[in-house]
Amino acid sequence: MAAESDCHFDEEASERYSMGTFSDEEAEQIEDHLLVCEACRRRVAESDTYVAAMRRAAARVRRGTARRMD
Amino acid sequence: MMNAQLSDSDSSVQADAPSAGQSWSRLVKRIQSGDASAMEEMYGVFTTGIRFYLCRQLGPQDLDDRVHEAFVAITQSIRKGELREPERLMGYVRTVVRRQVAAQIEAVVEQRRRQIDPSLGAVVCDHQPNPERQAIEREQTAVAYRVLQSLPRRDREVLVRFYLKEQSPAEICREMDLSATQFRLTKSRAKVRFGKLGRARLERHRGFRLRD
Repeated sequence: MAAESDCHFDEEASERYSMGTFSDEEAEQIEDHLLVCEACRRRVAESDTYVAAMRRAAARVRRGTARRMD
Repeated sequence: MMNAQLSDSDSSVQADAPSAGQSWSRLVKRIQSGDASAMEEMYGVFTTGIRFYLCRQLGPQDLDDRVHEAFVAITQSIRKGELREPERLMGYVRTVVRRQVAAQIEAVVEQRRRQIDPSLGAVVCDHQPNPERQAIEREQTAVAYRVLQSLPRRDREVLVRFYLKEQSPAEICREMDLSATQFRLTKSRAKVRFGKLGRARLERHRGFRLRD
């Protein structure tokens, strides 16, 4: 059946979805697509990992900078 | 938004192939008529996507039960005729699963409120993530930290502003006097480096284990 959507979203959109910076309407479009697309689910999973790691590491950098300034 | 970011990937789709909307409508009709194979088909199409969404939002606990609950809710409402636009089945599935997530989050908030207020009589539980998950996260953070430390100070500042302070690309470019291309390059180089360093560390760990 024609369940599989024939559109994919790019890395930037995937990262924005991971960061939660889309509007509700935009996120809904992404989520509809994710329901039926394995390739995009993999991309979002990778983005989730990357964004979370960068956030934690950036916080560590920030804390280090703040300590040096004390 | 999506028009700019979504791209056609399957030029082999035939012109006379049924649209996704038509296929959903047919599937919904078959489910309403009690066709068991239609149920299986819906399960086959949506299970992984629903699992992914629920796991991402709520974590892996009780995942099988939650997926099952979602299907029960979807099937019941289809059979009751509550899905008024069958061609929008995909959006309907997403709505049901989103509601399920919202209800679960509300329940957790209520549970935590009870934990804070012992007079409400709930047991205090340990909500720490499991040790394996924590170890993986520590490893990923270490890789990301090395990536950030290996960058020139200015590039590092770009990434800290973007990922930690959640400034928009436009704001960062304006405040740091960068072009959009410079911003994209800084971000994509860091991502490539994260991938390379992560793989290298993984291989070192594997080699270490093999020598044990």
